[in-house]
Amino acid sequence: MTIQTYWQLDVTEDAARSEPGARPSGRFRDVRTPALNRYDYYVQVGQAAAQTAFDGLFLPHRPQSDDSNIVAAAIAREVPRLGLIPEFPASSGSAVYAAKQAVSFQRQTHGRLGWAIAKDADAASRAREGDEVPDEALPARVDEFLTVARGVHGQQPFDFAGTHFEVQGGGFTAPLNGVAFPRVFLQGESEEALALSARTADVHLFAANTPAALRAHVETLDALAAHASRSVGFGVIQHVLAREDSADARREAGRAGLPDTAIVGTYADVAQRLADLAALGLRHFVLAAPSSLEEAYRIGQHVLPRFRALTERVAVAA
Amino acid sequence: MTIDFYWRLPSHGCHGSLRDTAYDRGDWSPISPRNVAPGLDRSGADDGFRYVDHLSAIARAAESVGFIGGLIPSFPNTDDPWVISPLLARETRTFRFMIAFQPGFLNPVHAARMSASLQRATGGRTVFNIITGGGGPSQLWWGDRFSHDDRYGRTTEFLDVFKGVWSGEGFSYDGRFYQVQDGGLSPLLAREEVPEIWFSGSSDAALQSAARHADYYLSWLEPFDQLADKFARVKDRTAALGGEQKCAVRVDLVARATEEEAWAEVRAGFEGLSPERRNQARGGPTDSVGAARQQALRPSEATRYDDLIVAPNLWGGFSLLRGGPALGIVGSYEQCAARLDDLIARGTDAFILAGTPHLEEAYRVGEEVLPLLGSKAEVLLHAAE
Repeated sequence: MTIQTYWQLDVTEDAARSEPGARPSGRFRDVRTPALNRYDYYVQVGQAAAQTAFDGLFLPHRPQSDDSNIVAAAIAREVPRLGLIPEFPASSGSAVYAAKQAVSFQRQTHGRLGWAIAKDADAASRAREGDEVPDEALPARVDEFLTVARGVHGQQPFDFAGTHFEVQGGGFTAPLNGVAFPRVFLQGESEEALALSARTADVHLFAANTPAALRAHVETLDALAAHASRSVGFGVIQHVLAREDSADARREAGRAGLPDTAIVGTYADVAQRLADLAALGLRHFVLAAPSSLEEAYRIGQHVLPRFRALTERVAVAA
Repeated sequence: MTIDFYWRLPSHGCHGSLRDTAYDRGDWSPISPRNVAPGLDRSGADDGFRYVDHLSAIARAAESVGFIGGLIPSFPNTDDPWVISPLLARETRTFRFMIAFQPGFLNPVHAARMSASLQRATGGRTVFNIITGGGGPSQLWWGDRFSHDDRYGRTTEFLDVFKGVWSGEGFSYDGRFYQVQDGGLSPLLAREEVPEIWFSGSSDAALQSAARHADYYLSWLEPFDQLADKFARVKDRTAALGGEQKCAVRVDLVARATEEEAWAEVRAGFEGLSPERRNQARGGPTDSVGAARQQALRPSEATRYDDLIVAPNLWGGFSLLRGGPALGIVGSYEQCAARLDDLIARGTDAFILAGTPHLEEAYRVGEEVLPLLGSKAEVLLHAAE
């Protein structure tokens, strides 16, 4: 399978950029209307990723800011070609309704939607979200959510009676049943998360980690999936900071508030480190950096071509 | 006082004419030679268009002739309004998206976040049409197991929570259907306006809930005096609870240059129906009080289109020609405007209008009927006599 690269559109990055009212000044004649706003910036990030040949956009769930599903739909018609993968929690509501929204999205965007189910938040955060499902029932809820969503999409009539969801005589008719169900991305490193993905994920996204740790996770999940007679794709959410020379990269990394697991270096270094991860069997790369617009151009222009060249060689050698 | 006029977006497919019940626009019927089918070219290959392109054309037409926005319905077989609205947000400027939805389908905190985001994406153009009743057995299709009256209780709680988290952080709620501890939208989201809330439902449970949370009480069209009574009752009831309720009507129009042309359109549609279709359209079982009231209006047997004329310019057979409510207005531009004026005089504060086909009729109604509102239509009618 070819490698898929996704750019992370994080609505909390550069939070003041294109935000109406941020950085006001009375000195220049400001003719901007309220219709010029943050969503223009989201579109620009998407267009940057499209122009620099990413395969998709990954939109993390950020409870304090714009909803990922709304952002994905709002930019979809101006962002050509890219897959759009909003992340959302399984507590968002009815699985039937979520499936129906997904089908509409697929119909209108030429099948570009992916579904990323967010990792479950802690109990206090869930209570703030009106989510009363206890810790021990969380994996089962995701399992039921996906079973019902895929069920109403794929069958008619569809019946299901679970702990969290119940449907009678469900299922979509034409033309709503004419599109592919979105590819499902799950996350997490716990035993439960890996077991759940073995049963239900299309792609499992790991948090960035050392190659050794990632190798262990890949092997575990691969074995679990094989046991369930399924195959799951592997991916990683990876912060990167790449510059023409390494001194620039280090200096910029010092300013950027990057996670410890970020890959920092020259364009060639970063491409090589990503290729090392691809050699472990990872095929889905969600790349992230602060200053999403500028970095999308930089990574897309300078790192992705090198990364592709390296992984093509890996593929040929294999 | 000005009145808000919305134009409906057909998220369930669109007819090219009232004379034919086939959905020949978009991909809602099998492809045929005359089917305008975004998605496929004449050879059956993907042409790059999708149904949303047709909806976009309707929204932009409605916007350009002065409609304030449009209702986007939600049924088992529709495209979803939460998806359609943001898809069209950036290619419209003033058009408000009235999202029809049943509160039970979303977690209210999540719904509040989505709504505030959509407000940000549209510059405050989000409106809600909250649906609670209806459904009957189809509620289980949706995965909703609550009974009719429980659903109203749930809607009330949903809106308590929806508005509660919107008022800021530190909101807690301990209801029968929803619990929240120390929740709330972030300041970034909470500074958006709470969307205007339109509310449907004719039962006592619905009116109770509407009195508490609705900005507009929305009804299908009923015979005018009956509707006036209902609106007066809703307004009184809300006033008794210390609130103020506006009222709105959802109505289809067939408006033509002359009354004869308008009725000719209706007659042609009626005469094209099979006898079975005329009977079957009496409607299936429902626990919607509004739908039952509509069914009761229809004569058991109608052999001619004019058997279904309920009052001057008021025809009760629309549900035979397309899904939805039975009653609609038929007449010349002046008559249609005068009937809308009658409804305004009887307590209507806003309208959701529709016509078939939605694109062309948006121009016709927007350009020919709406400008006659006020005294103009009445004057022209008198002059014609």
